[in-house]
Amino acid sequence: MDASLLTIQPNAPEPIYRQIVEQLRRLIASGQLVTGDLLPSVRDVAGFHAINPMTVSRAYGLAENEGLLERLRGKGMAVAATQRAAHTQVQRLALLEPQLLELARHARELELPPDPVLRRLSKLLEE
Amino acid sequence: MNAMLRESTSTGTAPLAAHGLMHSYEGSSVLRGVDLALEPGSVLGLIGRNGAGKSTLIRAMLGLLQPLSGSALVFGEPALKLGDDAKSRLAYVPQQPEALAWLTAQQMLEYVGRFYPRWDADFAGRTLERWKIQPNKLLGKLSPGERQRVDLIRALASQPELLVLDEPAAALDPVARRELLREVALRAGESGTTVLFSTHIVSDLERVASEIAFLHEGRLLLRCGVDETKERYARLWLPASKSAAAPAQSLSRRRHDDGSLSLVVERDAHGRWPEAADLPGARIDALGLEDLFVEIAE
Repeated sequence: MDASLLTIQPNAPEPIYRQIVEQLRRLIASGQLVTGDLLPSVRDVAGFHAINPMTVSRAYGLAENEGLLERLRGKGMAVAATQRAAHTQVQRLALLEPQLLELARHARELELPPDPVLRRLSKLLEE
Repeated sequence: MNAMLRESTSTGTAPLAAHGLMHSYEGSSVLRGVDLALEPGSVLGLIGRNGAGKSTLIRAMLGLLQPLSGSALVFGEPALKLGDDAKSRLAYVPQQPEALAWLTAQQMLEYVGRFYPRWDADFAGRTLERWKIQPNKLLGKLSPGERQRVDLIRALASQPELLVLDEPAAALDPVARRELLREVALRAGESGTTVLFSTHIVSDLERVASEIAFLHEGRLLLRCGVDETKERYARLWLPASKSAAAPAQSLSRRRHDDGSLSLVVERDAHGRWPEAADLPGARIDALGLEDLFVEIAE
């Protein structure tokens, strides 16, 4: 995996370390990262994105605690063996929950009935 | 407000520490009692509006001006009486460098390099080229932006233990700015350099800072880890009908024309938002640092 695979939005309300963990979770759930894949070093990620190395360490540490990553002696971080190549559909859908809640909220604020929103969403999903 | 200011760093080990700094210019108060200490290896972003007192605070912390009252320590020594050893471990880039105007950029870097035991001449030469400074032009003839870039190169090439930058972003284009941030981030993370930098460009600070301090009207409003700040504060919006239920404690409170209310609120010790957030129609919005800053600095 390359550091450029991560997208960092420094000015988002979500802290950068959470953005990293969230992206790792998605990359692993979708099978883009598989067991044994090595992660870029803390220095590479920090250097590429011009972010504090401590932030990257914190993200990796958290991902390790969650069982997403494991530390390989002398090699750095890798995608953990316990991770299935791809999660079940239910698990992957659960990862989308925050965005769906946000979308539902916006739709209600705009007083849009569900039908046109769902139609547009279906269209987008088929693209 | 004082409960929010952290006093975890003991001033004994802090590379840079200030206690009770007060200062004024021509009778108007600029610093109204500032306590601030940096932990070794931390990157503290000092943020505030123009005129909030950021430069004055930095200058007072480094002993470049004598405050009306209060004290500052650099590596544990009184800032106003710094020894040569402490000075060689410290690099400061002011907003408008003026020293040594009669030298060319190259001459200046060669000259000052002799005073720093860990001077990185390679880095200086390389960065001069990358940041497009003509090495043979007199410093006095450079634009203010170019002048500050040369001074940033000087500061970084000296490989300081303590790096203090006053609004470094103003002089740099986006590419060079990103390079500077990368240097700052990696040096803090790998060499344990302690960094204090002031800026009004919040996204720079969000990339590299481990902590932020909001300076507002001469006082520190908030001092917190960047991640914790984002997780701990949010904007609570209450419709007019529920505004009476607003929590008494909030960092800021703004009533809108329709009677609704916006408040900046904080999670309690158990991570919960104030009860009013659960009222029908109430809404909690996560805040980026810039929004938070605008909300509480208004």
